[in-house]
Amino acid sequence: MTLEAYLIVAAALFALGLIGAMSHRNLIALLIGIELMMNAASLNLMAFNRFVVADPTVGQIFVLIIIGLAAAEVAIFLSIILRLYRAYRDIDAEKLTELSG
Amino acid sequence: MLEQSVVYLFVALVLIGGCMAAFSRQVLYAIIGLGISLLGLAGLFLSLGSPFVAAMQVLIYIGGITVAIVFAMMLSIAMSVRPPDPDVRKSMFAIGCAVVFFFAVAYLIRDTSFPQVASPASEKAWSVGALGHALLTHYNLVFETLSLVLLLAIIGAILIARKEKT
Repeated sequence: MTLEAYLIVAAALFALGLIGAMSHRNLIALLIGIELMMNAASLNLMAFNRFVVADPTVGQIFVLIIIGLAAAEVAIFLSIILRLYRAYRDIDAEKLTELSG
Repeated sequence: MLEQSVVYLFVALVLIGGCMAAFSRQVLYAIIGLGISLLGLAGLFLSLGSPFVAAMQVLIYIGGITVAIVFAMMLSIAMSVRPPDPDVRKSMFAIGCAVVFFFAVAYLIRDTSFPQVASPASEKAWSVGALGHALLTHYNLVFETLSLVLLLAIIGAILIARKEKT
């Protein structure tokens, strides 16, 4: 596959993640959409790493960092979800409105 | 490098899994779709010549993150509860935004001419050894910072999720 084909696949994956993050109200479904978008970004980096950049380690290290940061992000996000569930018995994003004016 | 047909199979996995994750109302199916999509993405990394990143994708994303999301889901949602009825207006808006975004980016990609790599790197530069060497010498600060971030995330997650002593 060419560079353009990989970029199109990544754009499609990002668009799907956008749909997931925008149309759902459940916090876990939002998290899944965000993960899809991050993975689309990693695919872009790897594709550019293969076809454009001369030094092949840079893109791989970028993607490893993205994976590590995603793990940290998910740990925090899930602990916040558990805390919210304990306090409100619900993780619907539209019902968590205590701070809205 | 993999066979072309295998690469197309991985692309299909990525897109089918993404569709499952984006359009399913049941959270469990969305998580399964996420896993399928990530598996296809690991295959694409393999086809781009990086077996180590593909292995990390499978180990950390599918083995770690997806399973953690399943645990959190089972601790926070009653499985028998029906998901709320979809908000059609919101879904249409989201799909419209995504379609606009996709076609804008596709148009840009089609119109851009990317520079080709002048001298392709040798296969040795793609090896795991070269990656490890770069991580421990030139990119050492990044590596150590990432380990610190992960440690802080673990501590923060425990602090946030623990039960309050009353």
